[in-house]
Amino acid sequence: MRFIVAALVVGATAVGLAAEPHPILVSRQLAARAHLAVGDRVTLAVDPQGSRRAEFRVAGIYEPTPDPMRFTTARLEAQLHLPDLIDLAADPADPASRESLTALNVALVDPASARQFGVDLQARAPGTQAQRTARSQSDDPFAVLERFHVAISAVTMIGGTAFLLALMVIRAEERRETVGVLRLVGISRRTLLASVALEGVVIASLGAVFGVLLAVATEGLVNAIFQARYDTTLVFVRVTPSIALRAILVAAPLGIVAGLGASWTLLRRNILSIVRR
Amino acid sequence: MTAFRLASRTIRRYRAQTGLAVAGVAVIGALLFDMLLLSRGLLLSFGDLLDRAGFDVRVSGGGGMSLRLPIPDSSSLVAAIRALPEVRRAAEIRIQTAILRTRVGRPVGITLVGADGANEGGWTIVAGTDLTALPAPPPRCPLIVGRPLAVQLGVGPGDAVALAIEPAGTATALPSLECRIVGVAQFAFGTATDDTVATTLGAFHEAAGEVGEDEAELILVSSTREAGPMAAIEAIQRVRPGARAYSNEQVVEQFNRNGFAYFRQISLVLSSLTMAFAFLLVATLLTVSVNQRLGEIAALRAIGIGRARVAAMLLWESALLVGGGGLLAIPLGEILATGLDRILRQMPGLPEQLHFFVFEPRALAIHLVVLATTAIAAAAYPVWLATRLPIAATLRREVVG
Repeated sequence: MRFIVAALVVGATAVGLAAEPHPILVSRQLAARAHLAVGDRVTLAVDPQGSRRAEFRVAGIYEPTPDPMRFTTARLEAQLHLPDLIDLAADPADPASRESLTALNVALVDPASARQFGVDLQARAPGTQAQRTARSQSDDPFAVLERFHVAISAVTMIGGTAFLLALMVIRAEERRETVGVLRLVGISRRTLLASVALEGVVIASLGAVFGVLLAVATEGLVNAIFQARYDTTLVFVRVTPSIALRAILVAAPLGIVAGLGASWTLLRRNILSIVRR
Repeated sequence: MTAFRLASRTIRRYRAQTGLAVAGVAVIGALLFDMLLLSRGLLLSFGDLLDRAGFDVRVSGGGGMSLRLPIPDSSSLVAAIRALPEVRRAAEIRIQTAILRTRVGRPVGITLVGADGANEGGWTIVAGTDLTALPAPPPRCPLIVGRPLAVQLGVGPGDAVALAIEPAGTATALPSLECRIVGVAQFAFGTATDDTVATTLGAFHEAAGEVGEDEAELILVSSTREAGPMAAIEAIQRVRPGARAYSNEQVVEQFNRNGFAYFRQISLVLSSLTMAFAFLLVATLLTVSVNQRLGEIAALRAIGIGRARVAAMLLWESALLVGGGGLLAIPLGEILATGLDRILRQMPGLPEQLHFFVFEPRALAIHLVVLATTAIAAAAYPVWLATRLPIAATLRREVVG
């Protein structure tokens, strides 16, 4: 079992010792910051004075698992075998500290029994707290962020619809005389409205598809900028098929509404006023 | 006729499309305005919370401001700090997890704060009295309970409870201390599910069974107006070399670098996108509108209206569309910000009084500059089209068409 500790590297040395130091893994960020390479010997201490310290050998460098809750902090971490960490961190004046753990990860045979497991554990070991690794909707900050992003999307959509409507009004006005002639030769309002609605759907769908393609094309750029900024492999933007489909499905009805709304102001007039007679 | 009058007549003539364009700019402008409020909102709100607590310097034992380590020999340090001419007052804070038992109901885990002189600004009493105005005879262990916890437990001023210190991760058999709730308060940094309970430092020591232990987690210092926080920090570091003292500005800056960076980045991305969106849409509308009025513009040129006035007319049209929408965007943005703020404040663990969208004149100034730039940029292509128009050929095409 390995344990993660945020430790202070107080020095790296290449001096050979008789006994081979125990191995540790260091995060890529710590290796870069402390100029460490595989095979280096480092000293870890629990305090800046180095009163309790031990020497280790860097056995490998790892990429920390991206954590959305911690992406703004530098991942300066080292992983030790648990006995090594206890030897290093336990308070010699407190024998109980060798028996203390910060957390235990448990994989249940039946994940649905997590609640009962927590109750049983607390009954057997008062003072312990059992909590699910999966967050509930109420305490998940990402559920809140999702609601925020949905709200922003809705506002953007309202603004976009207003502009689409304005464009369709201009286009309808442009074709005023054509519409008048079509009405004069006997094409019904319903047929003209249907054609305008179809045009709206096509424009909105093409716009949505273009938007999705633009999002796909810029996805890598946005991720690259944020990943470089926060030195993480976390993926910030991902255009999934369901998101793309949702964008198109939302855009199509808006196109119909904009097309019909813009044309209705023209088509409800009588034919003579449309052809300016 | 001036360019402005020509533009306003054109806008009045195409009422429907003008109304829709202004509405679109207003909505997008509101979003832009909100992103500007968001970019520094958390920092302003956080700084305001710190300032309202009435202290401008924080001394901790290391581990930064989020992970607090005890300050060794804190009592002598507090005494030395209080004696400094740069310091107006200082407060000592102890923080510990504990268990609170009411006469009925299950015991609950709480965060116990032992405070000496920190009440002024640290919390606001909403019922009962403060620790500094205790009824006679003063209770042995007076408690101020955070409002959410008081509601959860159904307790109020005058109720008796039992308090037992329970350090995290340590088995303890400390006896409970009989306490009395003297007040219910809104803690400055309390969350919606706040479990904070404050008491006097004496009662805290008694509950913790401490004799001679002297390790406060935090010392709050208020500097004198003449000296200011930086001079107070220098004086504290002279008294105790290596002491970790931070001014409120430094604490805000530290949070800015770590916790709040995401919202700054997202507001930058979204405000850039909304600005680009507004530019594209206004430019498209104006271009389509100019294309629709090519004959009209050629006629204006033919009767002697110069290129410069036509260009100015289109610039005014753009300014009226963007300006009208931009002005509407400010109240609309305030309403929208209230809604978005309510969504983001549902984030777990955030102080109830922290806000994401905070108005500042700087945001308004940037909003206006960005919109003015958008209006000018959006008018550039239609102006180029209109001013390079071949008058005779366009008029002929209009007549033949």
